[in-house]
Amino acid sequence: MKKFAKISQIDDNLLFFVTIALVLIGLLFVYSASCYTAELETGNKFYYLIKQSTGALLGIVAMVTASLFDVNILKKFHLPLAILSALLLGLVFIPGVGISKYGATRWIGFGGFSFQPSEICKFALVLVGAHSLTQENAKPFFKYAKVLLFGLTYCVLIILEPNMSVTVCVGLLMVALLFLGGMKIKTFLLILLPFVVVLPLMIVLEPYRMLRLMAFLDPWASPKNEGYQLIQSLYALGSGGLFGVGIFQGRQKYRFLPFAESDFVFSVIGEETGLLGCLTLFLLFGLYVYCGVKIALNAKDKFSCILAGGITSVVAIQSLINFAVVTGSIPPTGLPLPFISYGGTSLVVFMTATGVLLSISRANKKQGFGIS
Amino acid sequence: MQENSYYVTKKRMVALMLASVFLFFLIFCRLFYIQILWGKNLQTKASDQWTRDLNLSAMRGDIVDKNGEILATSCTVFNVYARPNAVVDKESTAKVLAEALSLDYQSVVQKVNKKGVSEVLIARKVPTLLANELKEKDLDGIYFAEESLRQYPLGDFLTQVLGYVSVDGVGQTGIEAYYDKYLQGIDGRLLTQTDLVGKELDGVQYYLPSQKGLTIKLTVDSKIQMMVENVLDLAMYQYSPKKAECIVLDVTNGSVLAMSSKPSFDLNNIPRDDLESLTDYSKNVLVTDIYEPGSTFKIVTAAACLEESLNGGGFDENYVFKNNSRTRVVDGTKINCWSTHANGKHANQKLSDALNNSCNPIFTDIALNLGKETFYRYLEAFGFGSKTNLDFQGEQSGILIDKSMVKNADLARIGFGQSVTVTPLQLCMATASSVNGGILYQPRLVESIVDNVTGVTLTNPVVVKNRTISEVTSQKLATMLEGVVTNGSGKQAYIEGYKIGGKTGTAQKFENGALAQGKYVSSFIGFFPVNSPKYLVLMLVDEPVGQNYGSVVAAPYAKMVIQGIIDLYDVAPVE
Repeated sequence: MKKFAKISQIDDNLLFFVTIALVLIGLLFVYSASCYTAELETGNKFYYLIKQSTGALLGIVAMVTASLFDVNILKKFHLPLAILSALLLGLVFIPGVGISKYGATRWIGFGGFSFQPSEICKFALVLVGAHSLTQENAKPFFKYAKVLLFGLTYCVLIILEPNMSVTVCVGLLMVALLFLGGMKIKTFLLILLPFVVVLPLMIVLEPYRMLRLMAFLDPWASPKNEGYQLIQSLYALGSGGLFGVGIFQGRQKYRFLPFAESDFVFSVIGEETGLLGCLTLFLLFGLYVYCGVKIALNAKDKFSCILAGGITSVVAIQSLINFAVVTGSIPPTGLPLPFISYGGTSLVVFMTATGVLLSISRANKKQGFGIS
Repeated sequence: MQENSYYVTKKRMVALMLASVFLFFLIFCRLFYIQILWGKNLQTKASDQWTRDLNLSAMRGDIVDKNGEILATSCTVFNVYARPNAVVDKESTAKVLAEALSLDYQSVVQKVNKKGVSEVLIARKVPTLLANELKEKDLDGIYFAEESLRQYPLGDFLTQVLGYVSVDGVGQTGIEAYYDKYLQGIDGRLLTQTDLVGKELDGVQYYLPSQKGLTIKLTVDSKIQMMVENVLDLAMYQYSPKKAECIVLDVTNGSVLAMSSKPSFDLNNIPRDDLESLTDYSKNVLVTDIYEPGSTFKIVTAAACLEESLNGGGFDENYVFKNNSRTRVVDGTKINCWSTHANGKHANQKLSDALNNSCNPIFTDIALNLGKETFYRYLEAFGFGSKTNLDFQGEQSGILIDKSMVKNADLARIGFGQSVTVTPLQLCMATASSVNGGILYQPRLVESIVDNVTGVTLTNPVVVKNRTISEVTSQKLATMLEGVVTNGSGKQAYIEGYKIGGKTGTAQKFENGALAQGKYVSSFIGFFPVNSPKYLVLMLVDEPVGQNYGSVVAAPYAKMVIQGIIDLYDVAPVE
């Protein structure tokens, strides 16, 4: 038992360092990807770096603070947080509060500050899941109903923005939570069925999604329009080769690659550090998932277990979707890469969630519990 | 119960983790494919969009005469471009450009504001000096592309031989066209690294300088050419002919020393909008047009006759032609001498007399005596009916009636230069071969092609095509032709103290298949020094007004050219 605690200790530090490493890599490449456009647009090539650094500092404070609290406090907040998330998602549609960019209304803003409520709702859903799925006395129907209720509400609100990628992300998270919660496989598949039907339908019904889908299959069919983004991403990755063209030496960020510092920062990493750099990043995300799962497995109760598993799932789902998009493995859709992509809210929220993981890990050490 | 469901959760958690690891692996495989297997291909495509490729057109090579005097050259001018996206201050940039280049301000403003184009041409062919002044102003988004502008320092000179180039600098006619690939040079490139919208990035440029085209060195001697052109201008003035033409040839190697026809035009001011005169005046008729040579052709007939006498046929130089009639009837057609043969004229002629008198009946006799087979063998050996292979475009081969079709009446006429068409150059080559010892050369206009950078020279070799007659015959013939100038119809070309040979010709012109009344080509073909021929001059006056005999019209101009050569090169008189 003592030996096990020691391993857990290592994991604990490891998760912290993996997170810090990811954030630092993020800062480096947010700067590299944005310095040219930042200089042109604002006259200050450090513009994005400074904003992202601010997010990172706030994130560290939030992460450490979260790691010091007992996660059980969160149980009480699950409902208010879930409802607040839904309200914030609704606020997006109120003119004057919601901010539209690139043909979608995804942001709410006050003062000079803006953020995407969808960043928060993912973790709100995890909390709802962790709480309701551990209500052993409740009837199975009610156990899952809450997760489904909030999950689907979020999905509907997000798809209305519209934001396909985050919808898929939240949908997958919901499925993962139901799966982790112990839902019978038969029931699980039955619930999954509508998604399998609805998703293709949504794609076919929205012309721009259909075009994007076609673009993913053959981007060179419309190199100036739908296929453009993917082609530019492939150019970046392809130019990288095995070792990359060198940090700061990439050419695609010179306005060729759209959203180079946010959704497509991985393209820049691939161009400048090559396949080896990408592999390193994959390993770091792999380590993060490994640590997260390990913490979940060692959790002292099922609430902590599902909470840890849920948080880890968010990171895994979102990073996988981002990698898949950037490599042209699935239709292109805008989703930031956790810890790496430019975006203050996203960074702070993910680091806070990591703090929660660390808190669970800390609790595990005090009271050895779990399977080995 | 709780323990059991907790166990399920943990089991499923591990399953999810394995699933995500598997997905990471799949994406890594995809990444491996993109970056390693597909990478080179993608990078090549990508590099296309990273650079703007500016063509630097190569300076066209010079054309020089045999002494190195420049006849055609190129100077650098600049095409001024703007990349609208990179022009920072549109108004002031436009103002500077409009002032410096004397352009309309409004149109320049429009150009630098043009959307959806990466480059827009502001001005063409801006002189170097002006371009340099503009360059110093260092305007953002304004670029200068070198281009060469063709210039002909001597203007209306050697017009048809040199030819001209298109606006884009591609040879259209003459040497400019024939040697275009050597003159072109190799274009250079300026690759500039830019961002998506064409804004230049610092410090990353790739410059491949253009390579100037090679120098074409002609066999033409511009001093002789200059004199020839002056003489032709005089002929144009004095006789108002349709055309006046002249070739000067080095008979010892087939090199063209001068070649000109008038009217012509200034190559620096090509009448591009008057297509008819452009086509007519730029045609090198000495090579591309055919005519009936008339009496000048008798040299060839005489050569065949003399040479054949060595083989037991023909008539030797001492043979006296018995038939003194001015008329011959062949196959029912009458052939008359230009002379009445009255009062003992053209009587008891030897071959030399016949040449002096240019007596048609005698050459009819010779042709018929030689017969179809023999005469045609000589005609073909002298190169008639086939191209001389001059290094020039559009050469014609002349028309020699097919041997199987030729009737005696035709053969008889060919004997004195009718029923046969030749290019003036063909006649020159054949005559040269008759007097230079019997060698038929392939004519050439270009002596060598020179790379001025490396000094490598590619020589256009002297080509001997075949022997036509023996040296002995050639010498005899040359002496006879000297007689023509000294005593015969060529007297007008005689120069005291010099041994000049030659033959006159007055050919009637055919138009639309019928003899054109009163239209003649007056000609004289001469060479000197007779004892060791070097220069050959063919003078043609096409449709002279007033006079038409070659002896009267053409011979005096040929004499001027010969006198000019003598003066130019201080040819010593024979003691």
